[in-house]
Amino acid sequence: MKLNDRVQDDIVILEPKGKIMGGPDASLLHDKLHDYIEQDMKKVIIDLSKVDWMNSTGLGILISGLTTIRNNNGELKLANLTKKVQSLLTITKLVSVFEAYDSIDEAIKSFK
Amino acid sequence: MNLELLKTLVYFLPGGFLIFLAITITRDNFVSRLNRITGAMLFFAGIGPIAMVLGYMIEQSSTEGVPFNQTTLYNLYLIWEFFFPTLLVFAWLFPVDRLRTFKHPRLRYLVFIPQIMHLVIILFFSDINDLLNFLSSAENAEGLVGIITKPFAQLFSYLLVVLGFIRTYEVTIFGGINLFYVLTAIYFIETGKRFVTDPRLQTQTRVVIWAIRFGLGLLMISYLGAAVFSYEFPRGVNTALLLSALLIGGGIFTFAIIRHQFLDVQLFFRQSFIYTLISALLVGTYIILGVQSKKLMTPLFGDKADIVSYIFIIFLLLIFQPISSWIDNFIRSMFMHSRTDYRHIIERFSRQVISMFDPRQLRQTIEETLKTAILVEKVYFVLYQDNIDEYALIPSDDNTRQKVIDREDLMLRGINMLNVPTYFDSLSDYRNDSQLAEVLNEFKVKVILPMKDAEHLLGFLALTTKVAGYRYSAEDFNLLGVLSNQMVTALTNARLYVESMEKLRLEEELNMARQIQLDLLPSGPPVMNSVAISALSTPSRTVGGDFYDFIPNKANRRMGIVIADASGKGMPAALMIAQIHAMIHSEVNNGNSIATMLENMNNQVAVSTSSEKYVTLFYGELDETDNLFHFANAGHNYPILVRSGGEVELLDIGGPVIGAFPNMKYESSTVRLNSDDVLFLFTDGLSEAMNENGEEYTEDRIRRFLCDCRGHDPQLIMDMILEDVQKFDPHVPPQDDTTIIALKMTPNGLLLNERQA
Repeated sequence: MKLNDRVQDDIVILEPKGKIMGGPDASLLHDKLHDYIEQDMKKVIIDLSKVDWMNSTGLGILISGLTTIRNNNGELKLANLTKKVQSLLTITKLVSVFEAYDSIDEAIKSFK
Repeated sequence: MNLELLKTLVYFLPGGFLIFLAITITRDNFVSRLNRITGAMLFFAGIGPIAMVLGYMIEQSSTEGVPFNQTTLYNLYLIWEFFFPTLLVFAWLFPVDRLRTFKHPRLRYLVFIPQIMHLVIILFFSDINDLLNFLSSAENAEGLVGIITKPFAQLFSYLLVVLGFIRTYEVTIFGGINLFYVLTAIYFIETGKRFVTDPRLQTQTRVVIWAIRFGLGLLMISYLGAAVFSYEFPRGVNTALLLSALLIGGGIFTFAIIRHQFLDVQLFFRQSFIYTLISALLVGTYIILGVQSKKLMTPLFGDKADIVSYIFIIFLLLIFQPISSWIDNFIRSMFMHSRTDYRHIIERFSRQVISMFDPRQLRQTIEETLKTAILVEKVYFVLYQDNIDEYALIPSDDNTRQKVIDREDLMLRGINMLNVPTYFDSLSDYRNDSQLAEVLNEFKVKVILPMKDAEHLLGFLALTTKVAGYRYSAEDFNLLGVLSNQMVTALTNARLYVESMEKLRLEEELNMARQIQLDLLPSGPPVMNSVAISALSTPSRTVGGDFYDFIPNKANRRMGIVIADASGKGMPAALMIAQIHAMIHSEVNNGNSIATMLENMNNQVAVSTSSEKYVTLFYGELDETDNLFHFANAGHNYPILVRSGGEVELLDIGGPVIGAFPNMKYESSTVRLNSDDVLFLFTDGLSEAMNENGEEYTEDRIRRFLCDCRGHDPQLIMDMILEDVQKFDPHVPPQDDTTIIALKMTPNGLLLNERQA
């Protein structure tokens, strides 16, 4: 997994790329989130458009990210779910827990 | 004549042997004072019999004129008396080097004075006598000259008397002095023994002392005693006593010295013996050639034979040195490489350590080898410790605590740059503020032996002085260099062994965990009247994160069926599964509703594990009285219900995965199972089985497959689908934990179940 990040209107947009499979991926996302939390930037969107595959450990990473942000009184939203991620979230019934949007813009709007 | 020759040989051999031994010992390590003095002592001891041989030969050959034993040349044999002062000096050096404590060590040469005097008096007696006579004759001078010279003249006349006295009783006087020397030497060695603490050296000292007692005892009886107390043995007895004194005394003695200072005593003796023989052979050949050359030349060269034979002899003399050195090299290369003894040690050492994996035992062997081979008094180990990722001083007898050495310690960095054994003193550049240097200094460390594996310093040995304070020779350093390479190999082996043992232990534990996990799974499907059930779970590693079970709910007489999949794989997943197993059993026994059960479990797991660890779980209860199946799905892959007509229903109602977020709500649902309906529960290991193109098997494909084979009994359905997945993704074991429960409503479920059992 590669992780790009940018900030748009006070909102952090993380863009993981490739497969989210655990191992080093976990600390990568975790550290990035903590960096932003320390800068008091707690509105985060994870753009999943470039994530073509995710296993149970990968989902664990997203869950952990959400927990981290929430524990710091922030918000984390997902955008552009691919089919695989969508189906994983559906089966695990975590769609309702994660707020998921069809595009970045919609996700940004939801913060306002 | 043959008997005479034998006699000569009997005298010559021990003398020659001792002399060559002397040369070999001196040559082996000339810089060592002990070597030099031992060499000198053996040389002078060897002079005795050699002088006897020469004297005897000359006596035999000269038939006229003055008897040989009255000539000046004959008296030269007295040189052998220098054996006694050298013995005394030796006693100062062995077993404890006392000369180092002398203020003026050079004064030791004074002990040679009596023997020199003896030699001078005997050799030049008549000359000195004449001179003194002449000088003392000035006693009668008159006038001024007389006044000045008179006291001197008187002195000289006294000296003349003394000289006469000495000449008359020389045998007794110098015999007495020599006897005194021997006793003093024995005294020094006996008292020096007390200072020897090293057990090996103690043994050697004892051997030396016995050699001296024995050899010198015989010598005293046959020679010194006879000289002092004027008795005489028959010549044969005397010779036998002298020879055995020389041979046995010198032999044992040399043995002890060699063992003490050198390494391979057998090699040493062999070497000396072969040298003696070869040299005797060479000298003999030369003598024969010299004597015979003139005879041989005469017919060829006539008058000129003399000159030619001289030229020939000169030629022979010229090539003597090359020939002898060639023989020397030849013997060395054939029988005794100069490092054979070291090779012996190295060979033994590598043989010992090759199968030694216990670091402590290995250190002991290294220490013992160094103590035996190089006579190091103490060895300290500083080794890199994997568990603390630091270098540390290993505890030893007088240093009971492991001492961690600062990574930035200047001395450690200095040692890190070494590649060969080095004197600690030469590392003074690295002493500033170095704790390590202080410790090493305190231990009186002399030599640092680094142990390097390629570029990495495994550690080093700190060696103190050698026993009795002898210095490290160049050979010692060579040996240390080679041994350090062997140690590196041995230490690395030991480390790898420990690692592999650790791995083995972990595997063992993992296997035990696997057994525990297998025991958590039901031994077989439950026996029911209207349902046939088959189940299988295959972990992708030794232990897995999948779980299934059949739990009879005693409260409502339903059969509980659970399938679960913990996120991740291996041991962490297995531990979560063990927790789930315990929880669900207690929840079922508590008689809670299915939704409440899942809520309780979710909250418990959520608080006890971090949020990225979760479990997907499906729990259902089948009531055989009405064929209703009550269930709730906590984020698990939807179980597939294939109706007998081929319609497919997915059991998705429930809630989120267990353990990700606390306070989740779950709902349950109910479905009626009719005859010949197939319920198929699985984990994602099955649906996500991946072929080499990166495509997944997918749930759709499972559904289609189930529709096609729904007519078969559950065991066959399971086998067929596993076979199909296996064709799709031939990994064995599967890439992910895979679990299947296949269940079919059938009037003769009992029968089918029995058949499976």
